[in-house]
Parts: sequence; structure tokens; C-alpha cells
Amino acid sequence: MLKIIIPFIFVNLLSSMNQEPTYLVLNHFDKDIPQAEKLLVENFNNSKFEFDAALENIFTDLDSYDNPASSHMDMMKELGEKYKVSFILLNKIEHKEDRFVLDGLLFNTRSGGLIHRRKIDLKQYLDGQINELIMWVGNTLGVQEKEWQKNRESILFNDPEELTYDKTPMGAAIRSLIAPGWGQAYSNKKTSAGVWFGVEASLSLAFILSYLNYDKSAKGFLSNTDLYHQTDDEKLVAKHRAAAEKDWGNHIIYSRLAIALASATSTGWVSNSIHAWVFGPRPYTNIYQEWDSSSELNKG
Amino acid sequence: MKFIYNYKVLIVLLFTFLSCKLYKKDFDNPVDYIANDDLGVDAPALVFYPKTQTLNQNEVVKIESVIVFHPDSTESFVGMHLQIQFPNTLLELDTIKPGLFITDTSNTTPLFTYSFDGDNVIDIYTYFLSETKLNIEGTGHIADIIFNSISTGSDSIYYDLDDCQMIKINDDEIQIMGKRGAEIIIQ
Repeated sequence: MLKIIIPFIFVNLLSSMNQEPTYLVLNHFDKDIPQAEKLLVENFNNSKFEFDAALENIFTDLDSYDNPASSHMDMMKELGEKYKVSFILLNKIEHKEDRFVLDGLLFNTRSGGLIHRRKIDLKQYLDGQINELIMWVGNTLGVQEKEWQKNRESILFNDPEELTYDKTPMGAAIRSLIAPGWGQAYSNKKTSAGVWFGVEASLSLAFILSYLNYDKSAKGFLSNTDLYHQTDDEKLVAKHRAAAEKDWGNHIIYSRLAIALASATSTGWVSNSIHAWVFGPRPYTNIYQEWDSSSELNKG
Repeated sequence: MKFIYNYKVLIVLLFTFLSCKLYKKDFDNPVDYIANDDLGVDAPALVFYPKTQTLNQNEVVKIESVIVFHPDSTESFVGMHLQIQFPNTLLELDTIKPGLFITDTSNTTPLFTYSFDGDNVIDIYTYFLSETKLNIEGTGHIADIIFNSISTGSDSIYYDLDDCQMIKINDDEIQIMGKRGAEIIIQ
């Protein structure tokens, strides 16, 4: 008796292990994607696929349900019985300008529940739609090929070292060295550019005014000193001496002021150039996704 | 590279053009009582103007003899005796004329005479005479001494203060406190 039962159990177990998962695939694409069905069959030949393009416009309102996973359980069970499949795979692809959105749903026909969902929004790349579709299906089947991943990475930069940037920190620094604020404007930092330009223009103007006053005082001093030495009239001597003394004092004050302002201007100028370099245009190393306040997860 | 070189040249030129040179004060007019005071020459002082002259040989050398008072302590005077020594190896006395101060800016004719010892000493005697004023007061030009330069070299002309005298209208003497000579350079 045991000799009969054991082979029977073994054969049944073997037949259940070799049983291929069966899928009903419902593709809803807003644009025609040629050979999508053929490529799915070729890439996953261990699985059995049934296709039905007649079933359209189902689950358009899936996101409006409180519990999308169990919202269409009866319909899924019915479809499972009708097509004799264990899973229903619903793939939706919508194109938006240079992007496309793939919304993939995997239902178990035994329970009728939604067991897996993937919704991705990607920039279009060569054969991107079919590649993402295959990756999604592969994910549900536990199969991932490196080639598919490489195809997806084609939309990323290959090697940062090989990139040529239109704008560089050094370009910003040189521009700021030529004209304060130019480097910041070049880096699209308008406020910073305005502040730097304003500060440097003010300092430069103050320096020029101080220098012009110094120059005027120095010339006045020399002129009055000459007049002082050229006269023997005591009143004129006193007058020219007083004027020369005043000019001498002014030329000392304005000289010191001009030197201080020149130092401040040049220091500011160099700092402005360094600032332009430090905060110059660079590729982003950290890219964060924008916070989605409408997400259900965030509400929880 | 050429751009960098031009840039450096521009910076050097800018710094040269905009350099703030600081000048030293050089107030040394003999007629200036403050400058004399700084040199330790108290007022009233007998000085020559200008303090230095550089001339060529066989040119006329004109030197002004000036009395300098401090404006806060002037005194009226009428007569002066000045004794001056000059380098006779360089200069030859030509003539001596009364200055503007003693003539009240050419309004009066003072008593003005001088003597020369034939060597290097000149004595000038002057007395203020006017129909409207009794005396004069303050800093002023007493006499013009005119020489001819006869040889090259440099030397000084100076007052012999021991024999110089300044008197008031009542013959009281006013003490002359200081003197400054003048340098003559004949090229």
C-alpha cells in the first residue's frame, strides 16, 4: 500500500512544482507600444500569459477608494475563474510630454485582492516604456536582468568626470574678479550679485572720492607752500601757512582714508571672487524628491 | 599669458597712479615768526629774505633785511642800526636802499645812510620820519642790500647782533632777541 501511495504523492508534488504561474495581462496604453505582449512572453517563458485587450477602462477610479487593495475582489475572482489564471496583471501607461507614468497592478485571483502595485513617473528613454514594463513584470515574478537595469540607467549621466559643464565655479570667480557680482549673477544668485555689486561700488566710490580729496589737498598744500616761500609779506606768509597747514592735515586724513578704503575694496573684491567660486555653479550631488503633501502615507 | 602680463602691468600702473604720497611740512620762511620760533630764533629778530639764493657769477644779488616781531608782542620803533658782515670773496657791495617798511610803503623819506669798511662789514643807520606818524610797528622790510657776485662758492651773510640796535621814539632801546643769516651760492 505504501509503495503505491509514495510514488503518487511524489508525482503530484513534482507536477505542482512544475506548475507555471498563469497571468491575465491587461495592457492599457494611451499610445501604441509595439511588440509589448510578444516581448513579455519572450522574457518570461517560464510563465503563462493570457492577453485580453477587450477589457478596457477598469480601475480608473482605484485611487479614490479607501482600501484599493480590496475594492474589486469579486471582479478579480470572476475574471480568474473565467480565464483560469492565478494572477491578473493590469498595466497602464500614460505619456505626459517627455515623461511617462507606468501604473502596474497585480491581483491574486484566489483572494481577489491587490497584492502588488508599482507607479513610476520617469523621463522617456529609448524603449523606456517596454523596458519599465518588463522590469515591473520581472519584479512581480522575482526575475531581474542586468540589461534592463542598464537600459534604465541610460537616462542618467554616465560618468560625472566626463561631463562638460556650461557654467563652472572658476568661470564665476573670474567674472567676479572682473566685475563684482557678475560671478554671482552668472550663478543665478541675483540677490547676492546685487549685494556684492552694491557694496563694492560703494567702497570704490568712497575710495575714489577720498583719493580725489587727497589729491586736491596735496596739490593745495604744495601750491600754498610755494606761495608761502615766495613772499616776504608777513600777512601773506601767515595766510599761506594757515592754508598749507589745513591742506596738509586734510591730505593726511584723506590719504589714510583712501588707503583704508582701497584695502577694504580690494579685500572685498577678492572675497567676492572667492565667494563666487565657493557658491559657483556645480552639479547637484544630493537630489531630493519634492515632498508630496497629498500622499496617504504622509497623512497617516 | 599675455592677458595675465597685461593685467599685472595695469595693476602696477594703477598703484603708481593712485599712490598716496605724504609730504613733509617745510615752513621755513624767515619772515614767519613761527618758523623762526621753531628754529629757536626768538622775536623780535633780524633776518634776511630770502634765506637762500643760488645765482651765477656776475649776477646781481639782492637781499632784504627784515625785522620780525611776534604779532602778540609788537613794539613801536623809529630808528635802527644794523651791522652786517658778508663774504667779500664771493660778493662785492653795490648799493643799499631803504625798504618799504621804513619808507611807509614809499609814503615818506626816512633818514637812511650806511657805511662800508671797505672789507666785509656794512653799517646801516635809518630813522623813520613822517609828517603823520611818529613811529612804525610790527614786522617789516628795513633795507635792500645789493651785491654783485664776483666768484663761485657758497657762504653766508649775517648780522653782528652785538652792534645792532633798535630804538623807540624816546631813545629807549628794544632788545633784539634773535637773528638769521642767509646763504649765498654762486655757481
